[in-house]
Amino acid sequence: MPATIYRHSILVLLLVMLTALSAPAQQADAENCNLCHSLALLGIATPSKGLRSFEVTANAYSHSTHRNVICRDCHTDINVFPHPQEVARVECYKACHISKPFALTGYSHAEQADAHAISAHGFNSEYSAEKNEAKPDCKYCHSNTFRNVVNDEALQESSQHCVRCHEGEGLAGVILHVSSHSGHRTAEASISVVELCSSCHADQGHMKQFDVNLTQVGGYERHFHGKALKRGLNEVANCMDCHRNHLNLSADDPNSSIHPNNIQQTCSANSYCHSDVSSTFAASAIHSEPTTQNNPILFYVEWGFIILTAGTMALLFAHIFLDFGRWVGDIWLRRKEK
Amino acid sequence: MSQDYTRFTLSQRLQHIFMFVPFIILVLTGFPIKFPESEFWNFVMSAAGGIENTRIIHRFAAAVMILDFAFHILYVGYNLIKKRPSLADMHLVPNGRDGKNIIENLKYFMFLSDERPRFHKFSYLEKFDYWAVFWGMFIMAGSGIILWFPVLFSKFLPGIVIQIAYIAHSDEAMLALLAIIIWHFYNVHFNPRIWPANKVWYKGTLSEEEMEHEHPLELEEIKAREEASK
Repeated sequence: MPATIYRHSILVLLLVMLTALSAPAQQADAENCNLCHSLALLGIATPSKGLRSFEVTANAYSHSTHRNVICRDCHTDINVFPHPQEVARVECYKACHISKPFALTGYSHAEQADAHAISAHGFNSEYSAEKNEAKPDCKYCHSNTFRNVVNDEALQESSQHCVRCHEGEGLAGVILHVSSHSGHRTAEASISVVELCSSCHADQGHMKQFDVNLTQVGGYERHFHGKALKRGLNEVANCMDCHRNHLNLSADDPNSSIHPNNIQQTCSANSYCHSDVSSTFAASAIHSEPTTQNNPILFYVEWGFIILTAGTMALLFAHIFLDFGRWVGDIWLRRKEK
Repeated sequence: MSQDYTRFTLSQRLQHIFMFVPFIILVLTGFPIKFPESEFWNFVMSAAGGIENTRIIHRFAAAVMILDFAFHILYVGYNLIKKRPSLADMHLVPNGRDGKNIIENLKYFMFLSDERPRFHKFSYLEKFDYWAVFWGMFIMAGSGIILWFPVLFSKFLPGIVIQIAYIAHSDEAMLALLAIIIWHFYNVHFNPRIWPANKVWYKGTLSEEEMEHEHPLELEEIKAREEASK
């Protein structure tokens, strides 16, 4: 019986791949929007926003993740022709006409959008509009580029990574994941996740406006996870593995994956990472950029080694220098005598 | 008639080899992680088959080195108990003469004296090398084993120990590498009086002239002993 399921799953996988490969643009344009929107000069000029192009490059769109989603699924308030001048921005949580694979229920990003909304990246009513604007929205992390499952090297590398969160869901779970998530920028290799998060978190100027630790990226990079990842060890934890993908919460929040009560669970969330983790292990800071305040012991150990190394090498160099000097001096003296 | 004098026994020479071969491997597989952005270390790591391989090689070499060190401890212990030389007879422990030798040598270097210090079996330079390795082994092997099994050690050690182990392993490695390629290599290779190499590490013997020059006190003692036994 398991063999049959396996064989059927392979068939399903092949079907998914075939549909993915054929990439039809027709379905997305069932309402014939591209009759106008394929025109290169289509656009308007407004005093406030300047020149805006409304061209949709058919070829680019038909190769994107959302190529099967009809335009009005996302551009919901475009109902009349000619279109209204002011239309709402596209929001990702709207339900579209795509069915979830295997489930036949309508697909939407509401679950992710809800998690994002209450996360540290979500809207904060205490913040100014400008400050809220500076936080990443869906589209900041998720591009709409279509990734070809069959011959995309980065994607194949990251498929190992997918299994980490979807462990135990079996092949069907993996297919579900690949078919629904393959368009995400974060479906790339672990190192891209770190680069993506670093694009804001390593930018001191950008992060200064928020009340966050400015040494996080530096701390990650000087620790084993960060160093080994740079060297291509994809099994180490990237930012998302500990901080979650959408529900990124501050360590003070009891629901956070990095809250002191939960961090032990986070380190050993799946067999890929550390198993049977003690609370001491979980508490040993992984972003340590030690200072006299946050970690004086480590700070002085580090300086101790720097002083020990510099001091020892200075003495040894001096000895070598003097020894060599005597040898040169002897030659010089012998020449002088002759 | 000149004669060769045994400086290192076969066992001692093998102990040295089983120390420095893993040392080289450990440096080549460890430093690519210490400097994750360096192109040079990237080249080294790729040549060894990437990080998945070098992690295994690093641990294997570490095991060989630790076993070698453990053997050395047993070897010294066995010699102390069985053959009963006093610790002083091993000439490994720093003593007052080393302090005197340092001053004499510095005077010689600076042309304040033309007398080189007369060394016994191990000069203060060699004692420094020996004890530097001793200290280094405890730091490197201790921290390395903790980093090998961090989850296990965190069960009975405070979390700060793992962080310290990480710093210590990385920084002591740098000190060890610098000490070896600058200090040790100068003393046994690049010193113009030695260049291109001191061959005692595989020959095990020194000629009478070499003994006269490098270890005159030891030579004196050997000759006195030979006289006495005649």
